[in-house]
Amino acid sequence: MNNNKPKILTANEASMIVESSVIKRRKKDARLKTYGRIAIGLAVSFLIFLFVSIFSKGIPGFFQYYVTLDVYLDRDRLDPKGDLSPESLYNGDARSIVLESLYKVINPKGRKEKKAAKKIISTNADVRISKMVLDDPNILGKTIPITFAVDDDIDSFLRGYIKRETPSSERRINDTVIKFVDKLSAENKISYKFSDYILTGSASRSPEIAGIKGAFIGSLLTLAVCFIIAFPLGVATAVYLEEFAPKNRITEIIEVNINNLAAVPSVVFGILGLAIFIGVFGMPRSIPLLGGMVLALMTLPTIIISSRAAIRAVPPSIKDAAYGIGASKLQTIFHHVLPLAMPGMLTGTIIGMAQALGETAPLLMIGMVAFIVDIPGGVTDPGTVLPVQIFMWADFAERMFIQKTSSAIIVLLVFLIFMNAAAVILRKKLERRW
Amino acid sequence: MNEYSLLIILLLISTLWFYFGNKTALSLKKKQLKLNSLPHYYGIYVALYSFIPALFSYLLILVFDGILFSNLIIEFVPKEILNSPDFNKIIVLAQIDNAVRGIYFGEQPDWVTIASNQMIEWNYHSLILNFFCSISLALGIGYLGFKNINEEFRSRNSVEKIIISLLGLSSIIAILTTIGIVFSVIFESLRFFAIIPASEFLFGLIWNPQFEGAERAGSGQEGLATYGSVPLFVGTFLISLIALCVSVPIGLFSAVYLSEYANKKERSIFKPLLEILAGIPTVVYGFFAALTVAPLMRNGGSLIGLDVASESALAAGFVMGIMIIPFISSLSDDVINAVPQSLRDAGYGLGSTKNEVITNVIIPAALPGIIASIILAVSRAIGETMIVVMAAGLAANLSFNPLDAVTTVTAQIVTILVGDQEFESAKTLSAFALALTLIVITLILNFYALHVVKKYREQYE
Amino acid sequence: MVINSNINNVKTKTIGEIFSKDPKIICRHVDVFYGDKQAIKDVSIDISSREIISFIGPSGCGKSTFLRCLNRMNDTIDTCKVKGTILLDKDDIYDEKIDVVPLRAKIGMVFQKPNPFPKSIYENVAYGPRIHGLSSSKEELDFIVENSLKDSGLWQEVKDRLNSPGTGLSGGQQQRLCIARAIAVSPEIILMDEPCSALDPIATAKIEELINQLGKNYSIVIVTHSMQQAARISQRTAYFHLGELIEVGETKKIFTRPKDKQTEAYISGRIG
Repeated sequence: MNNNKPKILTANEASMIVESSVIKRRKKDARLKTYGRIAIGLAVSFLIFLFVSIFSKGIPGFFQYYVTLDVYLDRDRLDPKGDLSPESLYNGDARSIVLESLYKVINPKGRKEKKAAKKIISTNADVRISKMVLDDPNILGKTIPITFAVDDDIDSFLRGYIKRETPSSERRINDTVIKFVDKLSAENKISYKFSDYILTGSASRSPEIAGIKGAFIGSLLTLAVCFIIAFPLGVATAVYLEEFAPKNRITEIIEVNINNLAAVPSVVFGILGLAIFIGVFGMPRSIPLLGGMVLALMTLPTIIISSRAAIRAVPPSIKDAAYGIGASKLQTIFHHVLPLAMPGMLTGTIIGMAQALGETAPLLMIGMVAFIVDIPGGVTDPGTVLPVQIFMWADFAERMFIQKTSSAIIVLLVFLIFMNAAAVILRKKLERRW
Repeated sequence: MNEYSLLIILLLISTLWFYFGNKTALSLKKKQLKLNSLPHYYGIYVALYSFIPALFSYLLILVFDGILFSNLIIEFVPKEILNSPDFNKIIVLAQIDNAVRGIYFGEQPDWVTIASNQMIEWNYHSLILNFFCSISLALGIGYLGFKNINEEFRSRNSVEKIIISLLGLSSIIAILTTIGIVFSVIFESLRFFAIIPASEFLFGLIWNPQFEGAERAGSGQEGLATYGSVPLFVGTFLISLIALCVSVPIGLFSAVYLSEYANKKERSIFKPLLEILAGIPTVVYGFFAALTVAPLMRNGGSLIGLDVASESALAAGFVMGIMIIPFISSLSDDVINAVPQSLRDAGYGLGSTKNEVITNVIIPAALPGIIASIILAVSRAIGETMIVVMAAGLAANLSFNPLDAVTTVTAQIVTILVGDQEFESAKTLSAFALALTLIVITLILNFYALHVVKKYREQYE
Repeated sequence: MVINSNINNVKTKTIGEIFSKDPKIICRHVDVFYGDKQAIKDVSIDISSREIISFIGPSGCGKSTFLRCLNRMNDTIDTCKVKGTILLDKDDIYDEKIDVVPLRAKIGMVFQKPNPFPKSIYENVAYGPRIHGLSSSKEELDFIVENSLKDSGLWQEVKDRLNSPGTGLSGGQQQRLCIARAIAVSPEIILMDEPCSALDPIATAKIEELINQLGKNYSIVIVTHSMQQAARISQRTAYFHLGELIEVGETKKIFTRPKDKQTEAYISGRIG
């Protein structure tokens, strides 16, 4: 024992000590609160930064530059066979007709200048004319103003990403091209408007005509397959495990298994798709059916877990009431438990679907990364999905693809927001409290 | 006439059986016979009785004729192609498949035409067979079910039995796929370890599967593929560590603030905002990391005289850290809220400041749950793929420097398996071995985390 | 601090003696709101030094709410608002300048359900002195812990296992541990919110004995739903009904000759 023997403090002494310590302790308290605020501030500013950086690039991606030309639609040259069939139009001379109308405005001299002039208009111009003629053959033989997308380099130049000051040798477009573009601008031939291609175009190596329609439909088809497989299977499994399965060691293991499966990295599901669906069952690659099946495996645990939780949340009193009037177990489940648990199940399913919609890695492995121009017409046509399209575009070097990628991301995010909003509304609307 | 129309025919047949079953039951009822179940149960019984076996035979033939034919069709491939070193069964099959669909790429060798014609013929036969089997099953077994109907028959019980077995069956399917995943990966990994010793895979320091098959002259490596996975795991570890350095402090402080300091309004604004971070697809983060964050870091690094690789572990790890903030904050928030109010009261009743209650009472009580949330975040970080593929690069450097380009297990799996590949090569199989280690690691982490959470819940229940 | 000279000039509907000679806490016209709902209506009462006063009344009458006003435990509830005056030694405890930390160190609290921290017995008792810096050495802390445990009558039972978890004790022991934890910071007043409601009769008897002992050194305000308990341990009793303080007075008088009809009805078991 010490010499100055400790003694019990009186209330007054104690309160003096406490008073003296308060300022310091309050400061500490304020510090922790500030740390918390900083942490939330950081997280939210990351979020804002992410959105600003994507939207600032993506919104302009929905627009692009066009050049308007008066084109004489020469019947004989456009439709050499004269039967207005797609093949005939395909063999026609649309490209040079477009170029000739361009030359009329900018008057290129010599081969070199003409070569430069060819770079201005998108390679897609002839397809555009063929399509117009197919839609309305009466325009043949007339001279009408038509707008064409400009080439992506010209677009980037007009946006100011390719700078006039840069030495010609380091620019993607040379001085002659710039001279022509200036001339077109001076004649008011250049316009900036909502892109015809971003929402309705399909995959293309030329960024000015690339669009997300194919990928969007691919995503829809894939999600549909995923839903058709995962939802019934997931709900049926949940019902069985929750209501019928004997509670023993095996069901316990199964439960742990399903929980663990929800944590397995998504690439692993891609491997499974590759090894089993392609390797063993010999399914073709790149089709939405396969993508949907792989995503269904991935979302199955999520659906099972949330459905079981929803079933468990139905109060036993309701079941007892049904049993009490002589309903069988199955009738009780189908008439009372499932309708009450449905909002919870659907919410879980939508959340799982939203995950599936944003998933990329497993789909890369089952070949949905292939370059597919055609818009898929069914689940067995090769196709791609939005996230994979984003991944592919992000890899391309052309400046314009950065904007197009951001635009595609915006579409994907909007799609996701709709799904999540649907989940929230569903939960709010159908939620019952007991 | 195709597979879909057959399915519709089967559905029509079972609808007809429903009609007959229902009608018979109704007529029995009219005769004042007391039926055991409601009439429509008799209809459903017969319909199910006819449809289910037919559907099984339909699916069986649909799935297995493809497997059978793809094995048989190899006979039609000329010997010299079969024996050539770059023979790839998948490409050959795709070639034939395209011909069957009428898609041609340039000149077609004769054997492809023959094989595809044979394939078309086989497919036709199999379709006829399928029609015959499924329809006769639907009619025949349906009839057997129909014969069962009499006033003694307990149709509701039978229908319920069938439905319960269907429910059980679907849960078996769901569970089999889980086992299927593990076994398919284990099986392929074993094949890999038969070629490359496990010790080399686990402890080798050089990862270079690129040389497989294609010897590169003058590269100094003698064209030998090496499968030492250590650089991949170091890369994974490095990036996850960076991600945790970002997400753990931000996530924890946010959780503490939201659950203890924030008022209701702040909570209702910031909690969903943080959760948005978890809902953004990873490919978007990857794009963000590669196009915005990485250049920022590179420029920032060069300002202070640091040489940051354009695809650095730092950029990928940082963005991954942002992504997993909500995993830590949400789960931690949950466990902090689960700390009983009475413990808080005890702390405040003694005159503690909030800070003291948090550090002395709440955090110690919630610690297991917080640890579990961090573990789950780690397993998420380890399994994350797209950010790494897009922003961290594919260079398998053995480096602990966050400014270097590194690669991860998941990124390598994707790189190896994207595109056409042969299943036999060690390069392809190595992806399965990587996946196996990935599964084992995440399962252990997840199992441990769930265990901790469960223990924690029990403590307060 | 402004001292209201008219502090004893109160208009109140309460019957009985709300004033005391040596008031430690003075409450005047206290209203408590939860959002729009008024839980306490115009309560005025004095609590004197070293007295044991019990609050009784049917459940939901606001007695616990009022108790929690006295050390501002209601601060933790966002929607709760307190109006009126509560003076502790003539300082308004709801004054902006008053910090709840030293206030709660002065006014300890024991809760309905025993709530020891999930720590050792020693750590439970040492927690308060430690955060408030009441001890400068290990010896002092040991001494405080030992004394508090002795005062709460737990020392003999736990002295050999001070490092085992506090949650491992029996319910009655846990509650005595909570009392020890409260007195370890040397408070002047201890608030007890139905401290025995979760305990069996034997444990209850022990706590009651302890409360009687503690009444010599502390003011004790105890909320209880057991009238027998109020009768056994308290010198004064206050009867609450629907948020109002109906009657206050010496326990004996309240239980033998209640002046108010409602009080009488409750005590004789007609309202419950």
